[in-house]
Amino acid sequence: MKARINDKEVHFEPNQTILEAARANGIFIPTLCEYHDLDHTPGTCRVCLVEVRQPGSDEAQYLTSCNTPMTENSAVRTMTPKVQEMRRFQMEMAMSDHNEDCATCTRQGDCELIDAANSTGLKKIRFHYTKAWMPPEAGTKPVVYDKSRCIRCYRCIAVCRKVQDIDALEADGWGPTAGVRLKAGTYDASPCVSCGQCVMVCPTGAMSERDQVQEVVDYIADPDIVTVFQTAPAIRVDLGDEFGLPPGSNVEGQIIAALRRIGVDVILDTNFGADLVIMEEGTEVLGRLKAKAGPTFTSCCPAWINYAEKHYPEILPMISSTRSPQAVMGKMIKTYLAEKRAIDPAKIRVVSIMPCTAKKEEAARKALSENGVPDVDIVLTVREFARLIRRYGLDVGRLEPSTYDDLLMSEYSGAGAIFATTGGVMEAAVRTLYYVVNGKELEGIEVTGLRGFENVRSATVEVGGELGSIRLAICHGLRGTRKLVEAVLSGEEKFDFIEVMSCPGGCVDGGGTPRQKKSYIPFAKKRQEALFTLDRQKKPRQSHNNTQIQKLYADFLETPNSEKAHHLLHTHYTARGCGANADIPAAWAELKDQRTEERRQRTEDRRQNPA
Amino acid sequence: MNNLIYGVWNGEVYDCRRGEASKATPSLVGLDDFAPHNKTRAFVADRGFLIFERDTSLIKAFSQYMTQAAQESCGRCTPCRVGTQRLRDLLWEFAEDQADESILDEIEAIAEHVANTSLCGIGQSTPRALIAALRHFRDEFKPISPAQAVFQHSFTYTTAPCIEACPSKVDVPRYIDGVRDGKFDFALGVVLDNYPMAGACGRVCVRFCESACRRAMAEAPVGIRQIKRFAADQAITNNRLHFSKPAEKHDKSVAVIGAGPAGITCAYRLLLQGFKVDIFDAQQAAGGMASIGIPSYRLPKDILKKETEDVVRELGGQFYYGKALGDGLSVDDLLKNGYGAVFLAYGASQGTHFGIKNEYPDLDGYITGVDFLFKVYQHVEAGKTFNLDGDVVVVGGGNVAMDCVRSARRMGAKNVHLLYRRTEEDMPADREEIVAARDEGVLYHFLTNPTGLVVDNRRVKALELVKMRQTERDAKGRRNVEAIEGSTYTMPSDLVIAAIGQQVERNVLKPGEGIELDRDNCVVVDPETLETTRKGVFAGGDCVLKPQTLVHALGHGERAAESIADYLLNGAVSIKPEYRMQEVLKKNGLLKDECLEKPVVFRPRVVSPELDAVARSRNFDEVEHNISKEAAYEETERCMRCYRLYSLVTERELAGNAS
Repeated sequence: MKARINDKEVHFEPNQTILEAARANGIFIPTLCEYHDLDHTPGTCRVCLVEVRQPGSDEAQYLTSCNTPMTENSAVRTMTPKVQEMRRFQMEMAMSDHNEDCATCTRQGDCELIDAANSTGLKKIRFHYTKAWMPPEAGTKPVVYDKSRCIRCYRCIAVCRKVQDIDALEADGWGPTAGVRLKAGTYDASPCVSCGQCVMVCPTGAMSERDQVQEVVDYIADPDIVTVFQTAPAIRVDLGDEFGLPPGSNVEGQIIAALRRIGVDVILDTNFGADLVIMEEGTEVLGRLKAKAGPTFTSCCPAWINYAEKHYPEILPMISSTRSPQAVMGKMIKTYLAEKRAIDPAKIRVVSIMPCTAKKEEAARKALSENGVPDVDIVLTVREFARLIRRYGLDVGRLEPSTYDDLLMSEYSGAGAIFATTGGVMEAAVRTLYYVVNGKELEGIEVTGLRGFENVRSATVEVGGELGSIRLAICHGLRGTRKLVEAVLSGEEKFDFIEVMSCPGGCVDGGGTPRQKKSYIPFAKKRQEALFTLDRQKKPRQSHNNTQIQKLYADFLETPNSEKAHHLLHTHYTARGCGANADIPAAWAELKDQRTEERRQRTEDRRQNPA
Repeated sequence: MNNLIYGVWNGEVYDCRRGEASKATPSLVGLDDFAPHNKTRAFVADRGFLIFERDTSLIKAFSQYMTQAAQESCGRCTPCRVGTQRLRDLLWEFAEDQADESILDEIEAIAEHVANTSLCGIGQSTPRALIAALRHFRDEFKPISPAQAVFQHSFTYTTAPCIEACPSKVDVPRYIDGVRDGKFDFALGVVLDNYPMAGACGRVCVRFCESACRRAMAEAPVGIRQIKRFAADQAITNNRLHFSKPAEKHDKSVAVIGAGPAGITCAYRLLLQGFKVDIFDAQQAAGGMASIGIPSYRLPKDILKKETEDVVRELGGQFYYGKALGDGLSVDDLLKNGYGAVFLAYGASQGTHFGIKNEYPDLDGYITGVDFLFKVYQHVEAGKTFNLDGDVVVVGGGNVAMDCVRSARRMGAKNVHLLYRRTEEDMPADREEIVAARDEGVLYHFLTNPTGLVVDNRRVKALELVKMRQTERDAKGRRNVEAIEGSTYTMPSDLVIAAIGQQVERNVLKPGEGIELDRDNCVVVDPETLETTRKGVFAGGDCVLKPQTLVHALGHGERAAESIADYLLNGAVSIKPEYRMQEVLKKNGLLKDECLEKPVVFRPRVVSPELDAVARSRNFDEVEHNISKEAAYEETERCMRCYRLYSLVTERELAGNAS
């Protein structure tokens, strides 16, 4: 089928939209709410207007290109003066009830709304509607929603439904108060698992991590406090984006340099914790395999733990009791490190830099604290970490790389390094399992059968010895996880060991990583490759060969899964469920609110007292 | 309409300000006498506006209309959310003499922008009349005079084609919004705001809404019923739907006769308003024809029970089963025993006979459709023996006939035949039912009519039939049928079922009770208030309408509850302006004859999963299953939200809802 766009003949498929046809022909049309990677065209911003003349008609129609199909022999124009003026007015209206207080916005300098406004040539905003703004949510939830910055694109709802199959968000409000909210009224009753994918797709600062940068700055500035930082396996290949470095750049050395310049007292690497997790979890899995106790699920991912507790409590006994790398680090810092360095644990504040929003919630778990004091005090996402670094006037790209100087908890193996990508935890575990069973290292080291990017993968790996071959499964993204969990529960699939990472791509693309405009996890493969490269360069490449780990067991923990290790490095989970009875009176109250009488009065009030 | 002063309607400009108009003015019925003793000044709608009084303030009429539009804006799309607010504010600014005429240019530009670029019907349609007024009658825009400030009021009614088509006037786009937004309980709440039987309606409604759906102009109507069922089942099948007893606000109590859809809905709505309600029914369970008449493969009884008996009990209603009017229970007694009002909803449950030779009601091997379904019901639900074998012949073309043939298959009949005197296309039954029955092995015989029963020793042996043919089209384009002479033949049958209709039972009401019946035995009521000829007695559902659909009964139950509450609290029943507006819209066909103005991306209609024909045809398991959540979300995206606003401007405020 053919038509003309800007006088150029274009060919298109039936039912193809004008926007798709234009893009296929290299013609730019400004968009805002549309999100191609999720096939999401809600048609709410109405910015992508074009002029269309249907064949045989002289009448110009002004249509949104994102959700209008191309028609045979029609003539589309994308930049007529009238179209430009209409787009500008649309943007003016979109800005008129947007909280354009950019200085206080987490999306400052990186905002799709500003891009859209610029792409229409907006120069003035003549009126404002601000009455419906509400202060951002308070509380301790890792993800915060600010309705005054919401542009009603509903990408957050789309990613929660389409990618994660959690469906925790619903459209809320009416007219000026339209926005989103958690289902079932509260975080606890909602299906939300804090994975943070909603933040990743938000075009503005409406969805954000709860910003804790100031708390960290205050700790650093306090001379009585010993600040101990740990950075997760993913951070070194994520942070560079925020400072304009090529995707997948490894900035581990610059991170160490930055933390030193900032004045952090002790700089550690969560990769050490990853190696420690392999020692504990590997031993645990080995025990369960020998006892034929059924499958074991990994426990590193806090959104996955939330998911299991809320959605599949029956699976909790199958989840490894080993704490996550962040949590083993927190505990070792406040016990082992404190003891060896003679620091009063009460003075230590552990700050984690994580690619994750759910880690904020994990750190607050009661089971991961001692006498009410959390093992990890504050968790910053990569985005907050970048803001923290800027607070000290530093630019990661310009820093001279440095190296760790801590002799107790900063060494890591190649196995620990790949923890952040899908399949990485499993591969690290197999390297150590093989060694434990056979008393020798796995030849070739890498287990390429576990690598890949499909959302659910499985492999049978020959471990040898008394175990023979074991069946492994790996999933990333919760949609695939649901399928896998159901298959395991129904007995349809039998696995020995299952790795779950809630975010598609794994931690390197987690809900706490730098946001990309208009595209969903575009750098996943580059980051994954960067971690595999790091693994190849690393010596040793197996967790059990990490000399600081060996020293930790020799000096402090005795053996993996010893009583002391169990006490310090393992945890438990609690079935929580979610959901509530249908609240029909609440529905009626909302309906009444949407309908005439009450609202009429309030609208009249607004009219008489304009903003 | 004689008194049109000026206006624009369907793009035509009418100007009688200096005498007669040059062309015939549009004739809309029901506007002049919309409210008694209250002059109609103007009418504002999507198709234009009409001014009937010279001193009507155009700016006030539009200010109020756009105020309502801004209130109705859901807020998703930018031009409607912001633009309707902006229009409202600028119009009022000018109306209150706070801006000069140049603001009218700005208003026109914004109005055009909102109409051109909005996502749904609210933003697209509400500025149209304003644009026409500004183009053709700009000189009439003047600030509001003191007299106009006092003597001009607007009543604005928001609706959509699907809503107006529904006998119960359910706010269809709003519950579709609810599902799309992920607010399933809100969606259910929208339906429950009208009646309690959302899950039943979501399964068996005949879907007037879908017949009116404008999406049909693109590919196919939105699967409205499936969306409704989806929302209902999220709560009902997961046992998440419960009510708590409302506080008893009034000491008045109401007796409801009949626990069918009309009676249950009336009771439900009165209970929610804080009245005491007792329900009497001849059967031992609630549901009426929805229970007996609709087999459980279409509407499982547990769903029905939750939405009828359970809901009413949770709300504090009392059931008195095994109590039928005319059988030891009378309206006189009820009113004497302290009930403030009575609602008659005893249905139409007597099967109609053919009126052919050898047809005696107590023959073996002959039964009416409704009696057959009752026997099936007693067999399936209460385990009463009912053996069915051999050849079953069902006569009729409606949904009851379909229920009979499909039930007969499930009861074990060897061959099931359906006879209908017209063609398949003429059958009033749902298409899906006709197809499903055929898939289950039912044999159809069209253009065939019974002329007599062949009886041997009080037992039917065969059915005597005649072949029919279609006549030529009459003036209205309809084709009738006539018998072909000499084409008589017989069809052996073990059971003949007459599924050609039902009637209201006789002798339910005593002649002395002061309640008028028509010659079909239907209770005579005021169609707007459902009052019978006896004060304090109301009637609705099939006993008024003759056999009608479930949703008709639900709508009657609602309206009866409104009237009864009005009667009990105010001593008289008033007519709500909404009802009047619904009549105006219907009589003038204001929601019809629309076209799609913009190309729409093709999205196929959702298809519900079904049990396989072989697996289902020998049991009463539910055939149609709920759609998946993904499918429900997809389907909601097909709704175009064809909301329209209609504003009647009067001299004085209309009761109920006006500004």
